[in-house]
Amino acid sequence: MNAMGFAWRSLVRQPARASLGVLGVAAVGALLFDMLLLSQGLVISMRGLLERTGFDVRVTATDAMPGSGPLIQNAFAHTQAIAKLPSVRSAIALRFAHAVVPNDTPRGLYTSFQGVAGTATHPWTILRGRDIGTGAEIVINENAAGQLHVEPGARLTLRAACADEEQALPPVEFTVAGIAQFPFDTPNGTTLATSLDRLADACGGNESGEADIIMVASQETAGPDAAVADVAALFPDLRVLSNAEEVNRFERGGFTYFRQISTVLTTVTLAFAVLLITVLLTVSINQRLGEIAALRALGFSRWRVVADVFCESVLIVGGGGLLSLPLGGMLALGLDQILKRIPGIPAEVHFFVYQPSALQIHVLLLAATSVIAALYPIRIVASLPIAATLRDEVVG
Amino acid sequence: MNGANGHIVEATHISRVFPMPAGPVTAVADVTLRIAPGDHIAIRGPSGCGKSTLLHMLGCVETPTSGTLLFTGNDVTKLSDRQRSLLRLRSIGFVFQRFYLLPMLTAAENVELPQSEANVSKAERRGRTKELLEYVGLASRADHRPSELSGGEMQRVAIARALANRPGLLLADEPTGELDRATGEQIAALLDRVNADGTAMVIVTHDPALAERSTRVLSMRDGRIENETASA
Repeated sequence: MNAMGFAWRSLVRQPARASLGVLGVAAVGALLFDMLLLSQGLVISMRGLLERTGFDVRVTATDAMPGSGPLIQNAFAHTQAIAKLPSVRSAIALRFAHAVVPNDTPRGLYTSFQGVAGTATHPWTILRGRDIGTGAEIVINENAAGQLHVEPGARLTLRAACADEEQALPPVEFTVAGIAQFPFDTPNGTTLATSLDRLADACGGNESGEADIIMVASQETAGPDAAVADVAALFPDLRVLSNAEEVNRFERGGFTYFRQISTVLTTVTLAFAVLLITVLLTVSINQRLGEIAALRALGFSRWRVVADVFCESVLIVGGGGLLSLPLGGMLALGLDQILKRIPGIPAEVHFFVYQPSALQIHVLLLAATSVIAALYPIRIVASLPIAATLRDEVVG
Repeated sequence: MNGANGHIVEATHISRVFPMPAGPVTAVADVTLRIAPGDHIAIRGPSGCGKSTLLHMLGCVETPTSGTLLFTGNDVTKLSDRQRSLLRLRSIGFVFQRFYLLPMLTAAENVELPQSEANVSKAERRGRTKELLEYVGLASRADHRPSELSGGEMQRVAIARALANRPGLLLADEPTGELDRATGEQIAALLDRVNADGTAMVIVTHDPALAERSTRVLSMRDGRIENETASA
């Protein structure tokens, strides 16, 4: 019987303790797995979301987030100029505002309102109906359609809220061309979108050509870095970032808290796992000192009894580690749902995102746990005085 | 393979001193002993006189702090821990007062274990285990776990385990200490048979009846062999 088989039989001999160990590691491992998913989840999710828009370069007036900083002046002209650069495939300008749409509530539906202009396809996906044309048309998301009880073809009157929320703008009528999905929609958020000109009209006609952001798609042959360089050279006063640079900025900014929290909780979690397994193995070993001394007297080598203990640790951590994956997956889904209730988080953004490297690190950390946790019990077994133990066991 | 004089064990003026906080304690002092193949030796003496320590030295579990201990001609003090483990595995059998069978293994698996450690082939292990369990009268209990066996049966399995790798020397520390008189008698008879079949044996015991079955009885006191008597 090899060490692994022997360890297995030793664990099965004490099913309650073995189950406790495996379940403990499963719980701790699930938390560990979730912390690893969390550490990079938001960054990966945000990167994916940015890439799914079809644009890989973002141009803004300042470092502020679009919609919260100053507008790009002459955005329409800038967009056209950018679109003509050899490294650029297409570009669009986006303006973010708000609107109030009368519905069956006294205050009406307060919704985000976007205007778009440029040479590219629009950054939304049409679900029903069609995209906006040149007329006074609008696309709306599912939440808005549901709350306003409208479908493509319906007429919609809204009052825009642009630079000054207190500004009393006249109502403007649009035709709903289609129902669309917007990449940055929040789970319960309502969004309307039209052309930049129509939004400017709704905003009182004073803001034509201004935009919060110009989104640029680079030529595949040139790549985003070349497009960033070209746009920055053309408009040195604007802030130009590739998606990768934008994600890096997130990582260095607010997202870093998630990584720090994850690192702290991972460390604590692993410490608990090590303590749990060390205690379980040590208790188990101490109850079997006589048997182990007898095995040594019968000729079992020091390495063999050490291997038995190590294999027990590996089996407990391995079993718990396997269980921890589905457990961690389910836990991540639940926690993700809770965290996504934070206001302003896009529905497509996830806090816990699976990536193969997380699984690899999980396996490595648990493997290290099984080794570290076994060190103390192994020390007991390796330094066990055979004769004294046999003598003490009889006297005891 | 035995030593130059045909002895399995040649202990010459061996002592064992334990360092203690209150000062060194001499457990075994200046013992000289030869064990030849087929010997049947009993060691008697009051508790704490050094019987078990001497047994452990003869079994290469402990090394003497002074003197010379040769096992089949090899100087035990010069062997590494691993070499002494191998020596015990292949040449020495141990029987303990508390049996120390592994409770998660069946009787057969307990007997197979030392053979497995000695890299005996599976087929050979199976055959030897069956033979040994028949020898100790427990062939029908091969698949029983220790918890399903009586004390006497457990000790018989322990004897079978000790004989698994065909040792030249069997050491038993109070082998009947945990058994009632009748069961102890059965175990004593089994040990006699093992000895009669050619295995040298050293038994540490408080039981005069068990000691009297031996051909040599060593009486110990204060770590020394006080006298040696030969039985019929």
